[in-house]
Amino acid sequence: MENNVGMITPSGGATTLAPAQDQSLQPPNPDLAVQIQHLDYFFGSGDLRKQALFDINLALPRGQIVIMTGPSGSGKTTLVSLIGALRTVRQGSLRVLGQELVGLGERDLVTVRRNIGFIFQGHNLFESLTARQNVEMSVELTGQFNTKRAQAEAMLGKLGLADRVGYKPNALSGGQKQRVAIARALVNHPQLVLADEPTAALDKQSGRDVVTLLQTLAREEGCTVLMVTHDNRILDVADRIINLVDGRLASDTSPDGYLQANAAVTC
Amino acid sequence: MGRIPLAWFNLVNERTRLLVAVAGVAFAVLLIFMNLGFLGALTTTASTIYSQIDAEVFLSSPQSLEISSTRVFPRERLYQAAGVEGVDRVMPFYSEYLLWRNPETGNSRAMFVYGINPRDPVFLMPELQEPTAREILRRPNTVLIDSLSRPEFGPQTTGLETEAGQRQVVIGGQYTLGGGFAADGTLIMGDQNFRRFFAPRPLNQINLGLIKLAPGANPDRVADTLRSQLPQDVQVFTKAEIIANDERFWLQTTSIGFIFGLGVVVSFVVGTVIVYQILYTDIRDHLPEYATLKAMGYRNYYLFQVVLQEALLLAGLGYIPGLLTALLLYDLTVNATAGSLPVSMNWGRMIFVMILTFAMCSLSGLISVRRATSADPADVFS
Ligand SMILES: Nc1ncnc2c1ncn2[C@@H]1O[C@H](COP(=O)(O)OP(=O)(O)O)[C@@H](O)[C@H]1O
Ligand SMILES: [Mg+2]
Repeated sequence: MENNVGMITPSGGATTLAPAQDQSLQPPNPDLAVQIQHLDYFFGSGDLRKQALFDINLALPRGQIVIMTGPSGSGKTTLVSLIGALRTVRQGSLRVLGQELVGLGERDLVTVRRNIGFIFQGHNLFESLTARQNVEMSVELTGQFNTKRAQAEAMLGKLGLADRVGYKPNALSGGQKQRVAIARALVNHPQLVLADEPTAALDKQSGRDVVTLLQTLAREEGCTVLMVTHDNRILDVADRIINLVDGRLASDTSPDGYLQANAAVTC
Repeated sequence: MGRIPLAWFNLVNERTRLLVAVAGVAFAVLLIFMNLGFLGALTTTASTIYSQIDAEVFLSSPQSLEISSTRVFPRERLYQAAGVEGVDRVMPFYSEYLLWRNPETGNSRAMFVYGINPRDPVFLMPELQEPTAREILRRPNTVLIDSLSRPEFGPQTTGLETEAGQRQVVIGGQYTLGGGFAADGTLIMGDQNFRRFFAPRPLNQINLGLIKLAPGANPDRVADTLRSQLPQDVQVFTKAEIIANDERFWLQTTSIGFIFGLGVVVSFVVGTVIVYQILYTDIRDHLPEYATLKAMGYRNYYLFQVVLQEALLLAGLGYIPGLLTALLLYDLTVNATAGSLPVSMNWGRMIFVMILTFAMCSLSGLISVRRATSADPADVFS
């Protein structure tokens, strides 16, 4: 705890001290898909202990599409992986889809993950499986073995890949692979989708197409999307843009506000 | 519709690696089969000679090790045994090594010689049942030759004359027995010839005493009686006991048994290492995919299953070619050794090796699975 307090620099703005944290927590809000309060995160231990996130407070209402930007190394990936229940959290409060993740063990975290759709920069498809089988791997988690094939094909169809269901990733373009990954993330109709730089490996046009598709489907499903991106050209799909700098939330605006603020800086 | 067989797809996706893995497992399986085959032949040949001798109880010197390394003991003991109840007939049995000259090449090589009284129905081989066989054994300097003797001994035609132990010898006929690991070739001669060839050895010193029981007599009981009545300078065995004694000699006190036993262990270890190597590389290459599975909500248990399934698939795929090659090599061995090294397949060994193969692959699977389950789902974002 001493260490924790010591690492919060005065300029950090997050001045709430550790002992007071528990008292200042807001009650759970069912309208929020993600509710983060006073979240700190450290990598390593002992002398190598390094704080990556400082007193994050963030609330994502259900159905919102949020883009997170920020310089490299600012902690975006770390934050997304925490929200995705991919790491254990010990400090602050992190509610995802109504479930408090702080203090949860590996078993319970896995259960939480099943309600979240993940999209990665590297599409992470199984090279040995066809597009349809890759999506089916997701459906199998729900135990719907009888309809998994139909579900997978329907979702691939929505992403414009009806004629590519039998192809293996090697035979698909980068944009097509990323669309398969989106189908895999969305096929179980998750209420929350987390995407970390989904367009980074794509050219301009296919990146744009992929993000537009993701936006359309998210609106259709009414799911919350948190997407990390450096790509300024796709900011318009967002309802809201948050900016992370050095492990701290630096700004939280609408797309228009974000563009104006950035324009002011560059002028 | 069932689960997607991810293990299978992962294996077949990398054809070359699958081929190498299957070849590796098959090779280990083959090595295990060959070593077990030789071990089996060792025990088979150890019992061959006894199964062809028409006696139920055997006397031997306590210093004898097995059939080809016996010490002599007084024939008197055999005659003492003849008086015991249940004994029908006693037959002296002589054995000795003899240098046999190949008449074509002029090279000499050691034959193992069995000497019997031509009157005694010692052997069960069909050739020895002919009335002429007894007559042949009575002829001076005439022997019967084992047709399973190594070809290096030269032709085995009846009437052929050559030199054995400084004497002229004539082949009087053939029989089929096999000398196993103890002898490259065997001969049978009458006791009078035996005395001539191995002079000055007297016939009242014998190598084995063969005891044929009256119908209905219990071999164990007769053996017990003999043990209590005969002096300590002879050992009494039933047929099963003397076979077990010789097998034990070969398996436990010779380097041959040790070498093949070690061969099985080494093959098992080699197989385990090969499969581990293959599985480990496979897991390493699929680590991002395993991390993705975990991020999607799959548990370690599922990854565990996938790796174990891959291991078992490799076991099954490798066992079959290993078995087929082994059958081929068994045949080859029997032919190359003219039937004197009787390696043969049996169901017990096939099942035993199959279990070993699955154990081998499961073991490698269990060692390498830790790598797969250690995949950090948070790594998928980096
Ligand atoms: N596994 C890790 N172990 C130690 N430090 C890490 C690890 N992952 C990220 N970091 C550190 O945490 C900080 C935030 O990283 P990251 O969340 O990946 O930033 P971003 O995604 O914004 O580029 C960086 O300083 C990085 O070096
Ligand atoms: Mg990142």
